[in-house]
Amino acid sequence: MEITLTHYLVLAMAVFLTGMIGFIVRRNAIVMLMCVELMLSSVNIVFAAYSRFHANADGHVFVLMNFAVAAAEAAIGLAILVEIFRRRRTVNVDDLKALME
Amino acid sequence: MEGILFWVCGVLMVFGGVMMVLQRNAVVSAVWLIFAFVCAAGIFSLLAAPFLAVMQILVYAGAIMVLFLFVIMMLQGPVLEGERKRLALPLWPAVAIPPVAIAVMVIGYVKRNGLTSWGAPAAEGFGSPAHVAELLLGKYLLAFELISIVLLVAIIGALFVGKDERKLPWK
Repeated sequence: MEITLTHYLVLAMAVFLTGMIGFIVRRNAIVMLMCVELMLSSVNIVFAAYSRFHANADGHVFVLMNFAVAAAEAAIGLAILVEIFRRRRTVNVDDLKALME
Repeated sequence: MEGILFWVCGVLMVFGGVMMVLQRNAVVSAVWLIFAFVCAAGIFSLLAAPFLAVMQILVYAGAIMVLFLFVIMMLQGPVLEGERKRLALPLWPAVAIPPVAIAVMVIGYVKRNGLTSWGAPAAEGFGSPAHVAELLLGKYLLAFELISIVLLVAIIGALFVGKDERKLPWK
C-alpha cells in the first residue's frame, strides 16, 4: 500500500494523543513537561508532511522555529520547577495547589 | 521501501511515547522519549527533510533531553513519591474517550474521502541544508532574528527564576 499524506497525519495525531493522555495521567511535573515536548514534536511532523505535500519548504523553517520555542519552553519550565522544588520539596502536581487554597 | 520504513518508524515512535507515559521511573521515561524523538528523525528523513532529521537528533534528542535528565537527577531522583499506581475513576473517561472518538472520526473521513496521495515526488535537493538556509536567511530573516530574541529572553528568564532571591542585586 502506498504511504500517503493521510498516514503521516494519523501518525502525528496518535503521537499528539499519547502526549495529551500522558499530560492528564502523570503527576510528576517533569514528565508532564516531557509530554508537552512530545506534543510539540507531533506538530513538527504535520509541518514537514504538508511541506512535502505542497513541495514548499516554508514548513521546514517553521519546524526550526518550533525547535527554538520548545527549547525555550523546556528551559523556563524546568527553571520554574527547580524553584518550586526549592520551596516546596516536591514536584508532585497534586501537592502544588497554592492557587486553590 | 518507504512503506516499510514508515511503519517501523511510526509504530516505534508511538510505542516510545506510550512507554514514556507508562514508566513510573522518570529517568526511564526520558530515555523512552529520546527513543521516540530518534524515530521522529526517521520520519523526517522519509518526508524529504534531511536537515530537519539531523536537527531533531541534535537539538531534541541531544540538547533538550540532556537538560531534562539533569533536572530529574538534580531534583528528587527517578521515582516520584505518590505517583499514582492506577487511574482514579474520574480519569478513565478522559483517557479512553479521545482516542476512540478520534479513531471513529478518522475512519469515517477516510471511508468517505479516501487517502490524500502525494502530488509529484520531491524535487532534487528539497529540504537540504542549502535549501532551508536560503529560506531561513532570506524570506524569513526577520522571524529568524526574532526567534533568537525569544531564546535570549528565555535564557534571562530561566536565570532570573533560578537565582537565589537573597542574592538579587537590589536586595
